[in-house]
Amino acid sequence: MDFILLGLQQLADPTVFAVMVFGAMLGVVVGAIPGAGAAVTISILLPTTFSMDPLTGMTLLLGVYCGSAYGSAIPAVLINTPGSPVAVLTALEAKPFVERGEARRAMSLAYSSSFVGGVLAVLALMLLTQPLAQVARHFGSAEFAMVALAALVLVVIGHAGRRVEATAALCFGLFLATVGVETAYATQRYTFGFQSLLSGIPLVPTVIGLFAMSEALVQLTRREHARPPVQLGGRFFSGFAEVFRYPVTLYGSSLVGIICGIMPGVGEFLAQQVNYVWARKVSKHPELFGKGSPEGIIVSEATNNAVPPAALIPMLALGIPGEELTAMMLAVFLVHNVVPGPDLFLNRPEFVSGLYWTLLAMNVVIILFLMVATKWIARATLVDKRYLGAVILTLSLIGTYASNYSLADCGIAMVFGLLGFILRSHRWPLTPILLGLVMGPILEGRMRQALGGSNGDLTIFVTRPISALMVALLALLIFFTIRGGLKRRRPREDWQINDT
Amino acid sequence: MTNDEDKANRLESMALTVLFFAISLALLLALFAVTRPGQASGGWWTRPALAPGVALGLLVLANLVTLARSAVDLRRRPATTAERAEARARMLGWLRPLEFLAYFAGYIWALGLVGYFAATLLFLLGLMLRVGLRSPRWLLAGALTALALTAVFRMGLGVWMPPAMAYDLFPAAIRTALTRWF
Repeated sequence: MDFILLGLQQLADPTVFAVMVFGAMLGVVVGAIPGAGAAVTISILLPTTFSMDPLTGMTLLLGVYCGSAYGSAIPAVLINTPGSPVAVLTALEAKPFVERGEARRAMSLAYSSSFVGGVLAVLALMLLTQPLAQVARHFGSAEFAMVALAALVLVVIGHAGRRVEATAALCFGLFLATVGVETAYATQRYTFGFQSLLSGIPLVPTVIGLFAMSEALVQLTRREHARPPVQLGGRFFSGFAEVFRYPVTLYGSSLVGIICGIMPGVGEFLAQQVNYVWARKVSKHPELFGKGSPEGIIVSEATNNAVPPAALIPMLALGIPGEELTAMMLAVFLVHNVVPGPDLFLNRPEFVSGLYWTLLAMNVVIILFLMVATKWIARATLVDKRYLGAVILTLSLIGTYASNYSLADCGIAMVFGLLGFILRSHRWPLTPILLGLVMGPILEGRMRQALGGSNGDLTIFVTRPISALMVALLALLIFFTIRGGLKRRRPREDWQINDT
Repeated sequence: MTNDEDKANRLESMALTVLFFAISLALLLALFAVTRPGQASGGWWTRPALAPGVALGLLVLANLVTLARSAVDLRRRPATTAERAEARARMLGWLRPLEFLAYFAGYIWALGLVGYFAATLLFLLGLMLRVGLRSPRWLLAGALTALALTAVFRMGLGVWMPPAMAYDLFPAAIRTALTRWF
């Protein structure tokens, strides 16, 4: 009870509440602008949250994360352009609705299923995180090392059709994580005499370069700018109650979204694809899928919105981020010396409980905001991409500079901006680079501790029960993935994660 | 995407992989030169070269696999002259962002010269003119955006910026205000 009250007390703080409302609204708007999105916005906002207290900073970033998941449905419905890759299925299913003059019905279906998925995922976060953290209290370094390794392997496996490229990107990220002075011998690794690299490759400029600057460069250098006009037809509230006519699809999609959110590296896109195939099988009207099925929209949006809160479960309980946005958020924890993992619930219960309640309240704020302001937010979908690119590039400077007041960081951001631009144009995944950079020190540190404890004996990873179980699961996962890859000569394009 | 574009992408992707492979191999070969340990006292698992060595080793291997796949594909379907020309044109496209990054470098330089607001205004308007947003409506939007960014980050969040040389030209009171807010 005290735990619950602590969180409500945090939510009642005017600053936290105001930041939550602002973050949620900002998230919806940037989600509605194709080319902006959560990754760009969070990477730019990241350094400004360092001066806030941890809960306020996290609330702002989570507001953007959750809000953009809702907002990405707006351009998907109105201009048949997904605000982010995760709204592709919504765009596909909503097109016939728009052609029938039922854009508002499609939108309310999307909002309502997003709300159910989001709220159920927050409830799962509340119920599952602490028990998982209690299990993790029995973990030693060997187990944590294996969890980190499993997360990285899952990230690669999640990029079906691009696994070799994902492996290369991940290894590049892991390599970047080793640059700087290492702790055991105080040895400089790959600093090439640059003072600015002694403390390693800085996270914020790397993130801004890879995700924000590269996006700006794409927008500034692309040629097509024409946008079709926005059309709003039909009755707005017609779809809100309609989602409950499909309880199996609605709750099933939310559940799969939660499970996929917990699993590192799976993410919204793959979760949606899995769910879509499943929902079509169990539906009474499978023939409508792809031709304007309400269930298609429900699958896409409920899954999409269940993932963000669920992705926080492994990060809070184990300190392991599963995708790029939680990896960025981990920086907020580290800057404030808040260590995610089993001890978080003992040391900072007010923070954890506050996070739960702000997430729950956030979903209510977002749905109310959408019900009132969709007509105006829809205009954001018409923003000229060249203007958007110019603004993102301008914001990149303050985002990079504000983190460390270092002009060298701006140079690092430029290098990663160019790299991100080239990788994006070849559909190489960027997320594994970030996860490698964030997880590298965790993996190396835990590996060293585990091997130090066993005097270099590698069997430590198979003689401890939990670690051995993880090793076995990893081996099976890798075996079946390789076997599946060999069986399937042509990659299945429809199962690819497109996180660039 | 047309078939021609697809084929051109093939060559371009291969060139990119060759570049990545060469860089990762060079970094791997430099491993022991740039990770020399000081006082060696721990076991093999504490060696500074271990983690970057494993990461770079796998990176080289992954690039090699991608390269081999591309080579097999090209042997099966050899590239035509038209494809090669298309790929060259596309590779020149990699340089397009350099122009915008040069403007960005200029923006960083201008910060210390004219201050955040003026540098942002010049950069944003310059970019908009460059990409074809030249109507008075767009220029007004750019100016208002620069003002809004200054209001949010300098006035609202108090983000520190290096003092601008141009502000020294003003009397002390105005200079203080400019340094603090703009």
